[in-house]
Amino acid sequence: MLSVSALRKEFSTGMAVDGVSFEAAKGEVFGLLGPNGAGKTTTIRMILNILVPDGGTITYDGAPFSDDVRNTIGYLPEERGLYRKSKLLDTIMYFASLRGMKRGAAKSAAAAWLARFSLLEFRDRKVEELSKGNQQKVQFICAIIHNPSIVILDEPFSGLDPVNQILFKDIFHELRTAGKTVVFSTHQMDQAERLSDSLCLINRGRVVLGGTVRDVKKKHGTNSLHVEFSGDGAFMSGLPGVRRAILYENAAELELETDAKIQPLIGAMNGKVDLSKFELVEPSLQSIFLQAVGESNAASVPAAVAV
Amino acid sequence: MIAKVVSVARWEYVEKVKSKAFLIGLFLTPVIMIGMGVVPTLLITQADTRTKIIGVIDPSGVVAQPLADLLQARYRLPDGSPNYILRPLTAGTSVDLEASAAEADRQTGAGDIEGYCLLGRSPEADTAIEYRSKSVGDIQLVENLQQALRIVLSERKGLSMGLDTSVIRALNVKLDMKQIKLSKTGEREDSSFLQVFFRAYVFLFMLFLLIVTSGQLLVRSILEEKSNRIVEVLVSSCSSTELMAGKVLGLSALGFTQIGFWALMGTIASLTFGIEFVTPGIAALLILYFVLGYLFYAAVFIGAGSPLTTEQEAQQVTSYLVMILVLPIALAFPAMQNPDATWLRVLTFIPLLTPTMMALRIPIQMPSTWEILATILLMLVSIFFAMIAAGRIFRIAILSTGKSPKIAEIFRWAREG
Repeated sequence: MLSVSALRKEFSTGMAVDGVSFEAAKGEVFGLLGPNGAGKTTTIRMILNILVPDGGTITYDGAPFSDDVRNTIGYLPEERGLYRKSKLLDTIMYFASLRGMKRGAAKSAAAAWLARFSLLEFRDRKVEELSKGNQQKVQFICAIIHNPSIVILDEPFSGLDPVNQILFKDIFHELRTAGKTVVFSTHQMDQAERLSDSLCLINRGRVVLGGTVRDVKKKHGTNSLHVEFSGDGAFMSGLPGVRRAILYENAAELELETDAKIQPLIGAMNGKVDLSKFELVEPSLQSIFLQAVGESNAASVPAAVAV
Repeated sequence: MIAKVVSVARWEYVEKVKSKAFLIGLFLTPVIMIGMGVVPTLLITQADTRTKIIGVIDPSGVVAQPLADLLQARYRLPDGSPNYILRPLTAGTSVDLEASAAEADRQTGAGDIEGYCLLGRSPEADTAIEYRSKSVGDIQLVENLQQALRIVLSERKGLSMGLDTSVIRALNVKLDMKQIKLSKTGEREDSSFLQVFFRAYVFLFMLFLLIVTSGQLLVRSILEEKSNRIVEVLVSSCSSTELMAGKVLGLSALGFTQIGFWALMGTIASLTFGIEFVTPGIAALLILYFVLGYLFYAAVFIGAGSPLTTEQEAQQVTSYLVMILVLPIALAFPAMQNPDATWLRVLTFIPLLTPTMMALRIPIQMPSTWEILATILLMLVSIFFAMIAAGRIFRIAILSTGKSPKIAEIFRWAREG
C-alpha cells in the first residue's frame, strides 16, 4: 500500500505539487492522471525519493522511506533509456542487484521474464541492437524483476505498440492479482478508465478528483440515454429527467439529470414511438476530466490575477 | 549498503573494461610509449649487423685509399667482417664530377650503397666535404666516417708539413666520451640525456593517458545516465553516496588494472631486453603517485563532469583538464636542465599538478625525502576533500537536466552540499 498525504514541492518556477494526497491499496491498479505539466512526474519522483518533498508524508506499506523500502519499489521512468552498449541480460542483472537481488536469483528471474517477453534469444545482444519496442520490454522487466510490492510506472504506455500494450496490461492484471500496488501515470483518460481501479486527477499541482472509478463517475458524471426508434421523437426533449436531447433521424442522445429515473422514461417513450434500441451510457472519464480541469483552471484564474 | 556499492563498482568496471576506448588505451599506450621512447634510442645506439657500402668521389685521388684502409682497420662487425666498405666511384684528378655524382645518386637511390662522400679537390686545403644519403639519421655511420676522414686528412696535412708518421698517429687521439648521471647521493647511473629525457616523458605520458582515458569514460557514462534518465532508476535504487562510491571504486579498479598491466609489460620488457628502465624503488614510488593522482582526478572528473548535460560541454571540460595535465610535458626540458629550480618545487605543491610533476621529476632527479612525504600527505588530504566536494556536486547535479548550472552554482553545491 502506498499512502501520500499533503505532499508539497516548490521549484524556482513555481509550486509543482501543492498538497497532493491519495492512497493506493494492495491489489489495486491506481491511475495518476492529469494533463501534461500537472505535477504527476514530480509526485512520482518524490515517492521514489529522487526528489525531497518540501512538505507532507509518504508511507510504503505503512513505513516511511528507508534503504529497505528501496528494494520493495519498482520504477519505470517516463523517459526511456538503457545502457545502449551493454548486453540485455547484464543490464537486467545490474538493475536487479541494485534492488538487492542476489546474482543467482536475479539470473533465473531474468531468464524467466525474458522468456515471457520472448526476448530470451537476444539476451547476449547489446541493447542498441534491439527494436524500440523490445527495449521498452527490457525496461519493464528491470522495473519488476525484483518482485516489488509497489510498482510505479510513469507513462508506461506512451510510444508502445498495440501488441506490447496488451502484454503490459496482462502483466498489470497479474501484479494486481498477486496483491501488488500498481501506480501508473497517464494523460490518456480512456486508458486510465479501462485499466485502473482507483484514480486521482491532478491539475496544476492539486488533486481535482479522486476515488474509485465507479465513485468518480457516479459523483461527477451524468448518464445519457441512447435510443433508436421509428417515429417522431420530437417530444423527447420535454420528458421529465431529460436535460438535453440531441435528435437524429430515428435516433436520439438524451442527456439525463443526475437523479433521473429510467423506468418512467421507457414507459413514456414506448407509447409514442417504436423503440428498437435502448442503451444507458455511462459518462466517459474523458468528459468528466475535461470538465473538472476546465473548472479548476477557471477557479484558479482569479487567484492568479490577485497575486 | 556495501552490497550496492559493490554492484555499482562491478558494473562500472566490467562495462568499461570491455569498452573499445579502454582496450585501445591499454594496449596502444605502451606501444606508443615504446615507439616514442625506446625504439629510437635503441636503433641509434645499436651496432650494425651488416656491412655497409659507402661510395666515395675523390677528385684528388689520394684520400680514398687511406680512408678505406682506416675504416677497414677500425670498424668491425661482431662476426669479424668489416663494418664499412668504401667503394671509390672515380679516381684520379681528371674527373667529370657531374657525371660521377649522377652515377652515385643513382646507386644510392637503388640502394647499392648507403650513401656517398664527396671530397674536395685538394685534400690539404679543401675541407668542405659532403656526405649524401637517403637517410641522414644514421648518426653512428656519419660520426665514424667523420672521425676517419679527420685522421686521414690531418695525416696528409702533417706529412706535407714534414711531420713524422708516428708523431701524426700519436696526435690523433680517439675520443669516446660517455655521459654519467649522478644522483643526489652521488651514485652513478649510466644514462645519456636522451634516455633520461625519454624516461621522464614516458611516465608523464602514461599518467596523462591513464587519467584522460578513464576520466572521459566516466564523464561519458554519467552523461549517458543523465540524458536517458537511467539515473532516476539508479537513485531510486540506491543513495547517491552509494552510487558515487561505487563509481569511484569501479573506476579505481579500472585504473589499477591499467597500471598493473603496464607495470607487468614493463617488467617483462626490461627482463627480456635486459634493460633496467628504472629501479624497482623508483617504479614503486611512481606507481604510488599514479594511484594518488588517479584518485584525485577521479574526484575532479566527477565534480566537473556530473553537472554537464551535453557532449560538447563534456569535451570542453575534458580538454581544460587535459591542458592542466600536459603542462608538465612542456616543462620537461627546463626541468632537466635545472632539476633543483624553485619554481619546479612550487608547481609540485599544486594538487592538480603534483602527480604529473612528480612523474616528471622523479626519473630526472629524485626529489628530497621531505618533498616526497609532504606531497603524499598533500595528495591524501586533497583526495579526501575533493571526494567530499565531488559527492555534494554529484548528488545535486546528476538529477539536473536542461541547462547546465553556472560555475558559481556548482561551487556553492560543493561548499554547502
